[in-house]
Amino acid sequence: MPVDECILNKILGKVQKPARYLGNEWNSCHKDHGQVKLKTAFAFPDLYEVGMSNQGLKILYDSVNSNPELLMERVFAPAADMEDLLREYDMPLFALESREAVGNFDLIGFSLQYELSFTNVINMLDLSGIPLYSDKRDEQDPLIIGGGPCVYNPEPLAPFFDFFVVGEAEEVLPDILSEIASLKAKGMNKGDLLVELSTHDGIYVPSFYQPVYDYGILQGLKKLEPRAPDSIKKRYVEDLDRAPYPTAPVISYIETIHDRAVVELFRGCARGCRFCQAGYTFRPVRRRSQESVVNTARQIIDATGYDEIALSSLSSTDYPDLELLINQFDTVFPNGRVKCSLPSLRLDSYSVKLADQIHHGRRSSLTFAPEAATERLRKVIKKNISEEDIFKALEDAVKAGWQGFKLYFMIGLPTEKDEDVEAIPELCRRIRKYFKKQEGRSLKISVSVSTFVPKAHTPFQWEPQLPVDQVVRRQEILKKGFSNMPGFDYSWHDAKTSMLEAVYARGDRRLAPVLERAWQLGCRFDGWSEHFSFDNWKKAFHDTGIDPETFAYQQFKYDQPLPWDHINCGVKKEIFVSEHHKAMQIDAEEGGADGTFEL
Amino acid sequence: MERLSFSFARKPDLAYISHLDMMRLLLRALRRSGLPIAYSQGYNPHPRLTLALPLPLGVTASEEYGEVFFSEPVGPEIFLEKLRRQLPPALELTGAFIRKPELPPLAAEVNAALYRVFIETYINQGIFFQELNSALKSLLNKEEILMERKNKKKKVTYKNVRPYIFKANLKEEEKNTLELSLLLKAGSSGGVSPFLIIEELQAGSTLKLADNGLWRVHRQKLYKGPEEALQPLPEGM
Repeated sequence: MPVDECILNKILGKVQKPARYLGNEWNSCHKDHGQVKLKTAFAFPDLYEVGMSNQGLKILYDSVNSNPELLMERVFAPAADMEDLLREYDMPLFALESREAVGNFDLIGFSLQYELSFTNVINMLDLSGIPLYSDKRDEQDPLIIGGGPCVYNPEPLAPFFDFFVVGEAEEVLPDILSEIASLKAKGMNKGDLLVELSTHDGIYVPSFYQPVYDYGILQGLKKLEPRAPDSIKKRYVEDLDRAPYPTAPVISYIETIHDRAVVELFRGCARGCRFCQAGYTFRPVRRRSQESVVNTARQIIDATGYDEIALSSLSSTDYPDLELLINQFDTVFPNGRVKCSLPSLRLDSYSVKLADQIHHGRRSSLTFAPEAATERLRKVIKKNISEEDIFKALEDAVKAGWQGFKLYFMIGLPTEKDEDVEAIPELCRRIRKYFKKQEGRSLKISVSVSTFVPKAHTPFQWEPQLPVDQVVRRQEILKKGFSNMPGFDYSWHDAKTSMLEAVYARGDRRLAPVLERAWQLGCRFDGWSEHFSFDNWKKAFHDTGIDPETFAYQQFKYDQPLPWDHINCGVKKEIFVSEHHKAMQIDAEEGGADGTFEL
Repeated sequence: MERLSFSFARKPDLAYISHLDMMRLLLRALRRSGLPIAYSQGYNPHPRLTLALPLPLGVTASEEYGEVFFSEPVGPEIFLEKLRRQLPPALELTGAFIRKPELPPLAAEVNAALYRVFIETYINQGIFFQELNSALKSLLNKEEILMERKNKKKKVTYKNVRPYIFKANLKEEEKNTLELSLLLKAGSSGGVSPFLIIEELQAGSTLKLADNGLWRVHRQKLYKGPEEALQPLPEGM
């Protein structure tokens, strides 16, 4: 039974952006619930506008719904005003397409994109009337599953989920769902079903493993179910050209964060920047053929009416023959009626040349991510671009008529010294001075500095998060550096938010009760500065007796079991060790401070 | 260059999208339809589509108008046939006409809109009617109804919108429902929102209207011409 339409209309009349909750967008898929074998909901634990910009949602929605026996609807985290009204009118969280309560579906799949959306997962379960912990749920409750980047360390969420899908799910998910449908039809209970599923690659059933601690230090996981694997191998798509891809994606009424068509050029990245989780977990590099890129783009434009298409990847200019491809786009979409954009540009002349080719019309600003301002630190993180490259690329861009730049940096990187931080405003100052001299005009430069968070399955996974007071001190250095340089648009990330992100990125199952407590205290949308309350989180840690600093600030040892050791991302631990060694070697060689490095 | 105007109805399923959402929806539908929409000249060309009067969020409508320019002749029949296939059921195209190039922009012609506000009575209908009707009478007897606005410098100014209420009438529709019809000045030369009238009526009575969500607004018709001689919009297109 769908939720009461009268009450819903009343609620929609009161909330901000009611179009978030309509569910009848163009290309949305509405199926008869009586005609399918398994009803699933894709749950995105953030606002509609954020979720609808997520390509994973569109890919899975398409791949599941293309099977006539399966159904997938969407549900997003309700905004605060909507949550209040749902609770006031005692209305359950509902899936958008059918407006059926999410709790009545067979399975809910959460997209776990970042740690700071975890309290929304808890909130969405609660709004659906579903018991939070998997061991409190019975046969009638939906299966709760999770996927996405956070599944590379799913431990802090383990007690809430029935299983996780590790890796890329578009090919395997319809098969898994069909299998669940047929096993359920045979009357198999949830416990047996999970045993059956756990034998498949990429499926992690957390309740089959129990963590062992010794004096508060994690010693590893003890397997409780003999048929479950020792380590869970990620799933990935071998051939992008053959994998399902949405050519008629749902288009929102309201503007979303990325409101455009997206075609993936390739998945994975050969660069191996040491801080970048995606660079390791999406290996190997798989390319979509030119023919497929062009055909897919044409189909999406025809089915949506978008006027912009993004060619996405982790490092667009690494796509072979990109120039040829872009020329082809000009033929396929003549008159510049469909704009083409290339996110993730490297800071080199070739990238600038390509940006020049695809941008017709006004050239406002180009975005680059040097990440670090000294060559030494860039070598440490393996972002191998020289200062000469940077200046050359920027010069080409200015010559081509670009009016400004957006530059992304990080602080808190391993081996970072004050001088590396001071170098950020210094570099920006030199860039601007150089162009003022050359061009006789000032460039608009906006600088965004985020705080590095060490992530699982990267060479920096053993490294601690830089403590909050140190981050704040380095941000002061930046503020001081930029303060005598008017005209710079400088922004930075809140240090406490990054600290919390680090806790959950590196943590284990002991953090689950903290999450529940924080949610009880009102934490939601922790990634949004207007909602984030560090005081509530502090209270949550205090109430549950967990010290967040142990999780964020500890340096793991090489031989110490890591919370995510049982998740196999396809890259051997030795490679991470050797990359970590190399990074520290560079630091020592380049005379980076004392060079002491012990693990 | 061909200039076409068209009429459409908006049903409850699409009531909760904004004017900008509506424009995006129509533009994307036009692009999907493959119709040769014309673009403006200049550095940042934009498609030449306008709606006669923005439809407020939450409001349904029977007869709205828009106009569009095509770079090649299309004709009303082909236009209707191709665009209808690209529109959701809650947005119904009801007609299309060739519009003479010398006529002013459609949006400049609109001078009034007829709204029908349906109000669910939550107490005895007779008493509710009397109370609301006397609030309406005293509102109409006022010489000044001040609407708060912010000017470009974000300073609050006040505008007397009493002259913008051309006609207002309350009647008992059916069991538990009253209908308030409002003929209000609208368009580029100034106007007043039906929501403001509802707020004023609530302020002038003991009834809760705005806060309890027991009402909905429907826009029936658009008019052009001076107040004394208003004409429904499709006339003379």
